Amino acid sequence: MTTNTRQPQSAWALLADIVGGAASVIKGHVVTLRNWLRPKVTGQYPYRDPAKEWVPKPGYRGDFALIHDPERPGGLRCIACMACANVCPDKCIHIIGQGKGKERHPAAFDIDIGLCMYCWLCVEVCPVRAITLTPEYHNVAFTPQELIRDINDLKARGEGIAEPLLPVPIERSVLQPPTAKKKDVSEA
Amino acid sequence: MNEANVGTTDQLIVNMGPQHPSTHGVLRVALTLDGERVVSADPDIGYLHSSMEKIAERLDYRQYISYTDRFDYLGAMCNEWVFVRAVERLAGIEVTPRCEHIRLLMAELNRLASHLLYFGAMGIDTGATTVFLYCFRERELILDLFEWVSGQRLLYNFLRVGGLRNDLPDGWVEQCHAAMDALASRVDEYDTLLSENRIFIARTRGIGAITAEEALAYGFSGPCLRGCGVPYDLRRVDGYSLYPELDFEVCVEEGGDCLSRHMVRSRELRESIKIVRQVLARLPEGEVNVPVPRRLKVEPGEVYERIESPRGELGCYLVSDGSDKPWRMHWRAPSFYNLAPLDRLCRGHWMADMVAVIASTDIVLGDVDR
Repeated sequence: MTTNTRQPQSAWALLADIVGGAASVIKGHVVTLRNWLRPKVTGQYPYRDPAKEWVPKPGYRGDFALIHDPERPGGLRCIACMACANVCPDKCIHIIGQGKGKERHPAAFDIDIGLCMYCWLCVEVCPVRAITLTPEYHNVAFTPQELIRDINDLKARGEGIAEPLLPVPIERSVLQPPTAKKKDVSEA
Repeated sequence: MNEANVGTTDQLIVNMGPQHPSTHGVLRVALTLDGERVVSADPDIGYLHSSMEKIAERLDYRQYISYTDRFDYLGAMCNEWVFVRAVERLAGIEVTPRCEHIRLLMAELNRLASHLLYFGAMGIDTGATTVFLYCFRERELILDLFEWVSGQRLLYNFLRVGGLRNDLPDGWVEQCHAAMDALASRVDEYDTLLSENRIFIARTRGIGAITAEEALAYGFSGPCLRGCGVPYDLRRVDGYSLYPELDFEVCVEEGGDCLSRHMVRSRELRESIKIVRQVLARLPEGEVNVPVPRRLKVEPGEVYERIESPRGELGCYLVSDGSDKPWRMHWRAPSFYNLAPLDRLCRGHWMADMVAVIASTDIVLGDVDR
């Protein structure tokens, strides 16, 4: 039987055991005391104070956005090539394309973020860098329908975003460099 | 079993889990108890089974990387690493030196984060709640680094076949240095709170002891096996990646009990900090990605690639038929093998000690069930 019954040989050994045990507990309490004096690292959620709100880093993979291009029909860069819908492992992107050649643009663009696993592959495969994930992380909803982002929603979220968001310049990532953009559009 | 107990108490079968806070996920253990003594412990797994290996057969290599994050979610970078290593070996792709350095760096940071979570879980399971809070505070430093570089805190999808999602951002290396300095100064505190605490030692010494022969027969690996006195660390044994060039110690403890396994991880924290600092110091400049076709097709063949994950030998067996998808794949998940001797480890101990035994094997149920 393996138990932890310790049987000290003598009264002195017992005393040493008690003193040693007490010392180890006191040493532990010194650590706790030291940490008690350190600044607090936790915060309240939902935020009581907007100034203390946690801001994710630039490349954080949160909610989706479509990047604008005012010169194109529909006002979006997207050419409805279906690359993102095909690569998506969860098949949560649904696009209906419209127009031919250079005029091709999405008539409908739905993303079900309830299915999405935020893997970033849609951003990676996009030949025109039209889609991005944003640091927006307040994705709570009461019904599953609220978790479906349609084209207007995605367009509104893309306001002011020029390129897919990354923690580094695009040249230092797997995304194609900006110079490849024009060529890809003409090919499509 | 104690002879004096026979005839005085009936044996009782108790289901521990699957919703038990100390089973580290959805693990059900059918316990046969004689009073408070464990007569046998029969782990019942499969609650978190998600067909990880079958899913691989319908996804191409690029798509599957984000799935590898999701079985051993505490060592996601290591899972990605072993998978991309396997694919790269099949496809004959050489990665750049900077990429190799960053991958190794991520794996070691992930080991730190995983061991910190182990410390917290071990503490909370043996009644020391404080260390759990402190470890999570320090783990946050590492998760912040991951969040910055990969965009997520737990499921990174950062490694690619032939490279990485992106290079390290400016200022990341400095923040990593700062995090390592902060962590290094705190590791001693965990030891004061746990490894040197008399109560903790009484809860773990001699509990769940296993000999080196038995451990090897059961397929133990990682810190659990090194806690039995076997100096088996794939980072040294295989010497994969840049590990042969780095200066670190393989942490071995004699004893094979919960305390030895704990001490191995405690020392590995320091060794991993040492490795991270070395890699940061010698991080070369240059490209991180080599050109790889969008739809990668690898030669027909099979490969078994293994690395030392925070939990032990993590293996990826991959068979290709020449298409862009794996024909068959299998994970050698360390948690599964480390859970196997649970009955052997717990038999004869108090039921309360079982919690310490499960915590000390550091299993992740996603990794067990896949």
